[in-house]
Amino acid sequence: MPRRKLIKERVPTPKRPAEERIHDFKEVNLGYTFELAVKEAERCLQCPYNYAPCIKGCPVHIDIPGFISKLVEYRDDPDKAVKEALNVIWACNSLPATTGRVCPQEDQCETNCVMGKVGDKVNIGKLERFVADYARENGIDEELLFEMVPRIEKKDQSIAIIGAGPAGLTCAGELAKLGYDVTIYEALHEPGGVLMYGIPEFRLPKSIVESEIDKLRKLGVKILTDHIVGKTVTIEELLQEYDAVFIGSGAGTPRLINAPGINLNGIYTANEFLTRVNLMKAHLFPEYDTPVKVGTRVVVIGAGNTAMDAARSARRFGAEVIIAYRRGEDDVSARVEEVEHAKEEGIKFEFFVNPVEFIGDGKGNLKAVKFEKMRPLEERDSRGKRKIVGTGEYVTIEAETVIIAIGKHPNRLIINTPGLKVERGRIVVDENLMTSIPGVFAGGDAIRGEATVILAMGDGRRAAKTIHEYLTRKREENA
Amino acid sequence: MYKILEKKEIAMRNTWFKIHAPHIARKTKPGQFVIVRAFKNGERIPLTPVMWDPEEGWIVLVVFTRGKTTARMAAELKEGDYILNVAGPLGNPAELRKFGKILAIGAYTGVVEVYPIAKVWQELGNNVTTLHVTFEPMVVLRNELEKAVSRHVVETVPIDPNIDFPTNMKNVTKRLVEKVREMLKQEEYDLVFMVGPTGDQKAVFEVVREFGVPMKADLHPIMVDGTGMCGACRVTIGGEVKFACIDGPEFDAYQVAWDELIARSGYYTDMEERAMQEYMKALQGGGQ
Repeated sequence: MPRRKLIKERVPTPKRPAEERIHDFKEVNLGYTFELAVKEAERCLQCPYNYAPCIKGCPVHIDIPGFISKLVEYRDDPDKAVKEALNVIWACNSLPATTGRVCPQEDQCETNCVMGKVGDKVNIGKLERFVADYARENGIDEELLFEMVPRIEKKDQSIAIIGAGPAGLTCAGELAKLGYDVTIYEALHEPGGVLMYGIPEFRLPKSIVESEIDKLRKLGVKILTDHIVGKTVTIEELLQEYDAVFIGSGAGTPRLINAPGINLNGIYTANEFLTRVNLMKAHLFPEYDTPVKVGTRVVVIGAGNTAMDAARSARRFGAEVIIAYRRGEDDVSARVEEVEHAKEEGIKFEFFVNPVEFIGDGKGNLKAVKFEKMRPLEERDSRGKRKIVGTGEYVTIEAETVIIAIGKHPNRLIINTPGLKVERGRIVVDENLMTSIPGVFAGGDAIRGEATVILAMGDGRRAAKTIHEYLTRKREENA
Repeated sequence: MYKILEKKEIAMRNTWFKIHAPHIARKTKPGQFVIVRAFKNGERIPLTPVMWDPEEGWIVLVVFTRGKTTARMAAELKEGDYILNVAGPLGNPAELRKFGKILAIGAYTGVVEVYPIAKVWQELGNNVTTLHVTFEPMVVLRNELEKAVSRHVVETVPIDPNIDFPTNMKNVTKRLVEKVREMLKQEEYDLVFMVGPTGDQKAVFEVVREFGVPMKADLHPIMVDGTGMCGACRVTIGGEVKFACIDGPEFDAYQVAWDELIARSGYYTDMEERAMQEYMKALQGGGQ
């Protein structure tokens, strides 16, 4: 590519104004057009593959300069440019429309972008999203699949995947591309896991998740919904039917606060609140049968991405929303973009407050939350967050609804499998992601406790590789 | 998609669905439940298999018409149609062992959950008496229970057309409590088991407690996923928060925080009524 002048500033992506978007669940960020994407792509310095800090920062090691260069190289033929770019991305990531939207790029690929030394870092996330969206809207992904499927050499070994979330879907996609017979067992009525029940429509439209899953089906992946592994079928039974098993059952058990009044009406776990809205579409009640109650005053406890999702969803019901966090602003674990969006949408933050009691109205309904004010210490904990202590001072915030978003534990039904080694609720795996049961692999939140979509996908991809090696060995032994 | 092999109204507001669901039929044990999603815009509702055949791959659900979702199931689904989702079996099986003399109580359609458990208890050598208290036109499974247990008692209450349904239900509660008291006075039981509306479970528990008889209750809090993910069904048992879907649904009645459970169960009543009214309105509008 010819040398060109550095463009220091990022090409902005259009997004809908806050006052408009708080009245609906439609997507907030509108993404790049082809012209804007090319302009942003031109800012990339095209670091060599072996050096590029973005590739190193990506949990699935997408050849980022590689896909970006295609947009510039074929700028006169948008379809060709996107097809080439998608082909590069697909080599490492089968769900780019999703990761382009929900990855914490600022902590991963974009962290050490060399452009950051002279100006804004390249907007890798939005470029990835653009490629995926343009491909989907113009049938380019179908075209690529159509070319890819006949080239797949079928193998006669089969794999059962537990959970159709980011880890399971990725693992399934990679194994299907290698020619294995793959079946996903999903407990809920829709595949997608946290992408369907957890992340709201305005951040990740469900039609996009459905389309990504549809592509996996076209690769030959079978999905059985309504199957709860541990109940409908056990891992032991799966091992009789399949050559290997991958557990990607996520962290589905919500953590509760051990404080009086926790079972008052109006106190939701983020999982329940978001499931009602995202999966069951309670915001469309009574057209959809599932109800949800959002008071005029809502307090969300916690400050991770889930807390932002819950708060911003509640805001869309017209509520006044406060995010209450026991630590300070510096320790907020949510993505920067989500915090910004929440603030733009009028969500208030209260820092250094820890809930100690939920106060009822005498009829079983929540009326207020009592918090203890906290004080930060200089000392930091193992995660690098400042330690906090109670001050003995209290503050009461009135609210009809509380949403608890302080984290999740791995799903309990799976970890009770006999012979499966579990430590502090997490499935223990070796360096190949194999569990204590031979032939059973695991990844994502089931082994990590609670992490991100892309780390789960990274595990899914790595497990697909080690499962492939394991099954190849098995095949050779039997030959 | 699960095919409806048989559908019939077996009593007023009680619909029998025989459904092809081999993955459930293969695994279900008495006391376990399933989550059904019947329509694309429908709720996920917990229902309990009444009978099932692992070889033929079917289960039977008896659905009480209670709100919009169940009203739609009764009105819109036909034999040969498909139910979108049946997930399970969920929850823990009932404690199936020898207790001695058991009084197993079902209020309204709760009796259909009593049936599979009572049947196995009897087969295990227990002396099981079942009691079904309901409105006159809502008696179900009478023949099945008469065959399955030592003694099946049916107590009915007439529906007074001049008073509303909730007031009528109070008469059922009254009769239920009287009958349980009478039976506990007449004979000694080693265990009481009860399925029915939470308010009735509490009323029965208060009588049973006077006699000091151990009691178990199958709880029916509101559920969404049924797999331990959402916590909607949390109940306080002996001072600890439990999830009815994965820790229950059967609990020691003496440990249950009944008033909290009653309050939680009624949280959406106003919205449920609104959904039902709009559905009825739409039905009437559509019929014109």
